[in-house]
Amino acid sequence: MNKAQYFFKNTWKHRAHVVMALPVFIILLLFNYVPMAGLVMAFKRYDYTLGIWGSPFNGIENFKFLIASKDIFINMTKNTVLYYLVFTILGTVLNVALAIAIDQFLIKQAAKVMQTLMIIPVFISYAAVQFIVFAFISTDTGIINNLFGTHFRFYSTASYWPVILTVVKIWNSVGYGSVLYMSVLAGIDQELYEAAEIDGANKWQQIFHITIPSLVPMITVMLLLSVGNIMRSDTGLFYQVTRNNGQLYSTTQVIDSYVLNAIFKNSNFGFVAATTLFQSIVGLLLMLLANGVVRKIEPNDALF
Amino acid sequence: MAKKNLDLAPSGKKQKFGFGQALLGFILLLYTLFCFIPVLLVVVAAFTDEMAINKNGFSLIPEKWSMVGMNAVLRYGKQLAVSYGVTIGITVAGVFIGLFCMSMFAYAISRRDFQLRKFLNVFLIIPMLFSGGQLSSYIIFTSFYGLKDTYWILILPLCVNTMNVIILRTYIANSIPEELMEAAKIDGAGEYRTFFQITLPLLKPSLAAVGFMMATAYWNDWQNALLYITSDNKKPLQLLLVNIQKSIEFLLNNNNVPATVKAAMGGSIPQYSSTMATVLVVVGPIVIVYPFFQKYFVKGLTVGSVKG
Repeated sequence: MNKAQYFFKNTWKHRAHVVMALPVFIILLLFNYVPMAGLVMAFKRYDYTLGIWGSPFNGIENFKFLIASKDIFINMTKNTVLYYLVFTILGTVLNVALAIAIDQFLIKQAAKVMQTLMIIPVFISYAAVQFIVFAFISTDTGIINNLFGTHFRFYSTASYWPVILTVVKIWNSVGYGSVLYMSVLAGIDQELYEAAEIDGANKWQQIFHITIPSLVPMITVMLLLSVGNIMRSDTGLFYQVTRNNGQLYSTTQVIDSYVLNAIFKNSNFGFVAATTLFQSIVGLLLMLLANGVVRKIEPNDALF
Repeated sequence: MAKKNLDLAPSGKKQKFGFGQALLGFILLLYTLFCFIPVLLVVVAAFTDEMAINKNGFSLIPEKWSMVGMNAVLRYGKQLAVSYGVTIGITVAGVFIGLFCMSMFAYAISRRDFQLRKFLNVFLIIPMLFSGGQLSSYIIFTSFYGLKDTYWILILPLCVNTMNVIILRTYIANSIPEELMEAAKIDGAGEYRTFFQITLPLLKPSLAAVGFMMATAYWNDWQNALLYITSDNKKPLQLLLVNIQKSIEFLLNNNNVPATVKAAMGGSIPQYSSTMATVLVVVGPIVIVYPFFQKYFVKGLTVGSVKG
């Protein structure tokens, strides 16, 4: 029996599993794979009446346009990447620190209640968060200006926003982000700590030599998964929380919010398509690169 | 010998509650307040008198309480009820469809002997590495599939997620013994019966955790609603929030709106307290339900290797 025959026989034997896999296969195909094919419009002059497939090719015209209007492009790419770096580095450090802190705290009931309260922000949509942020930073009625007797005009000063958005992102995500690491901490063999204690290791030594090393695989997986999103952002944060305010674009415009605006304004589709293709390819290459590096160092932690 | 002593006195009880623990508790408490005060502010502001906010700004201890904001929300009446219905409908449908399809897929690709699983695995991972992006999705979903202003566009794009399938697959691999399923087969149960009567019930913790995360994603989805939904009777709750913001902006930025029009709109100009009351009504249910699912988070959300 040759390989192909064996394969078909095996697939027939598992026909029930093929049927079970079919719904997800179809949904992924329609809602993820077909849009990938749609990226071809980066090389086309999009005509609404002709659709994606019917529009004529125009070679690299769109990319020339992209280079010609490089100020917008460079600004939003810079913002996207810088926010990604800050959110990922700060976020990971805080996720891990919080998970260890909760794990180390001896009054377990109190830790549980506090953790419950810390996770709540992740369940509040950015469409709602923007009203909360407004309550804190509006010029006349905001808590911050009232508390300190200041008169900061946050909504018209771009330079404040990297800090504001970082604080909002941390508030939103760290409580929940620590849960994944807590599930790893719960799995550490307690005898390791007991043995270390007998050997005279203090709390800090235990954290640095037992706790953190056991978190490394999870940190690696989470970082690898996020690398592919370096060109993507939490659109709600940049579109809703900033109220899509044009005065703030120099520090708050990211690729995803630019694309969203372009769709609403029905404009610049060629430029957007070129940008999107660039966004997707950079994400893919960085993910493959990062995964390759990890596979060299620690094959078990690689994604694939 | 030492081991035996430790068994008698577990390490947790042996440690004393010293300065380090007090400091740790204080830091955790500060961070908890940082997370929770903004949430509390929503509740307080929703019941604060409008004049008090205009005079003193937002505050956790308002000068005067009031039900006006909450009443204003209830005056949306029909639209609020419709939007609640839409949001609940798409959340329930989406979670149900998503969990059903994803758990079947996760089960199928965990069968070791299944040759096609390698292909299906790769097929599952690729969307995580590469995507067509918002613009191409938007054009294809609207002009190619004709899904603009339908419930399906709110349900289908969010219902299958690679990460969630991996979580379910990890749970099947780690917590559901292969022998159980083999035993069921020996007893004469078919593939479908094995899945629905053996695997699915055992998958419950993971289904609860993944299902709750999906429910949150559906409940909080404003972007698809904003992109695709045009008719009032299909507007989910989040779109109401977005629309409030839009109408505030419209009134602030349009100096040429005649005074008479502004006066006529007086009743519907969204005010601080009524806006916060709307936020409370939209966000409330998910925050209230979440503690009941929290116990499944640590147990059900373990991510294993992507390779499978």
